[in-house]
Amino acid sequence: MMISKGVEDIDVKMPKDVYDSGEHKSTFNVYLAVVVRDDKGRTIKVHKQRSHSPTYNFRTAILPEQWYQETGATASFINTGDVTTSIAGIPNGSYTLISYPNSNENYQTYLVGIMVGSGSQSNPASAYNLAAPIANGSGAGQLIYQAPTLPSQIMINGNSAYFYIEQTCINQSGSTITITEVGVVVEAYVVSYNDSQSFNVGNTLMWYDILSSSISVPNGGSITIYYTFIVNP
Amino acid sequence: MVAPDLANEEDIDKLIISDDLPDEPTFKAYIEAKIYDKEGHVVDYRRQPMRSLTQYFLAFLSIALMGTYSSSSSTTAQSLLTNVLGMPSTQSSNGSADIGYSWSIQLGSGTQSFSPTLKSLAAPIANGSGAGQLIYGSTIVSYSGLTINVSVTVTNYSSTTIGVTEIGLIGTIILESETSTNAYTSTSFTNLYSYDTFSPAVTLPPGAIATFQITLSFTG
Repeated sequence: MMISKGVEDIDVKMPKDVYDSGEHKSTFNVYLAVVVRDDKGRTIKVHKQRSHSPTYNFRTAILPEQWYQETGATASFINTGDVTTSIAGIPNGSYTLISYPNSNENYQTYLVGIMVGSGSQSNPASAYNLAAPIANGSGAGQLIYQAPTLPSQIMINGNSAYFYIEQTCINQSGSTITITEVGVVVEAYVVSYNDSQSFNVGNTLMWYDILSSSISVPNGGSITIYYTFIVNP
Repeated sequence: MVAPDLANEEDIDKLIISDDLPDEPTFKAYIEAKIYDKEGHVVDYRRQPMRSLTQYFLAFLSIALMGTYSSSSSTTAQSLLTNVLGMPSTQSSNGSADIGYSWSIQLGSGTQSFSPTLKSLAAPIANGSGAGQLIYGSTIVSYSGLTINVSVTVTNYSSTTIGVTEIGLIGTIILESETSTNAYTSTSFTNLYSYDTFSPAVTLPPGAIATFQITLSFTG
């Protein structure tokens, strides 16, 4: 307990020079797992690592209205083409916000998928695209992206709760493909409630990881990627 | 070498949740409380890790991770929004529809066992100056790119000491749409995003002011 300055300091930041009153254990973790299969469907490698990087796009996407009201600022999405869209984020009918399914005019904000690439970059949080995305297809250096699988429920296990996103990519390129980076991409649309304004933000990188070791996908084989988001692990 | 294939859901569960991995976690969160007596002296200071996020927080994050629609061509919401947060699959609207968020901090004087499905504090302290009540100021949110701070200042105008034993981050999703007469309308979906306790209780004597802050910090 400390006895110190007066109430006029009520607005100063909380001091950081005190010890936590308990051991820190993260209440929110993200895991990345990749299963590699050969051309006969047999599992030949399982890669697991802790996931690290919600991008600045992700942080923009969760900011509450109070921040916009207090600062008068806008936040930005930067799409995979390096195009910036600003949002004001104040739900009072005057601003464009993330679209929601409705009975009249729909502009889908949806999960494009878990994208993979063969590059890397030094500051994952500021990434707006994979460094070297692998295109969808069966040509040289390409992978065939299956539709991602979304969860229908959150799984509960004691005090833990989690969901995972799953995606499979098939290699029919004719040669082995090596992946070194992974990211979650959402197509984002911002609209006004009365449909007077709508902006397609485009493909937006929300989560990004550089693999702790590269993964080779043999020709005829596949990878299945699991991104698991868990609280109270 | 060919490994055994993943045969069933149990195998997948072992795969996707790995509690033995090295390295720093993605996210850290703290709860802080700073208490002043009526003369303005700091009489107590607490800082503790946040321990207990709920399934509603996860479902809220799913908006950023999976969007609001179930696919590129659908006109229905992805399942976590409907099944967990209680939002409509399709919002009736004469125009379009969109969503924004509001956060707040709720204090309480009870205790209860944590569950990720917990929907409220055990004994929320109401806003007011009556017995057992606190006056809540506006929720303040700051954002630095790495950290989101949420704070609220409360004042005890009642004549008795109040013990705060629980704190929750409350999240509201505001769904905006247009009525059949082209008017603005909104619906709110409020859930408990986190639940933590103070032990011993944070005590606010009559006239005391306290600031409670929740800090969400991302790596990367």
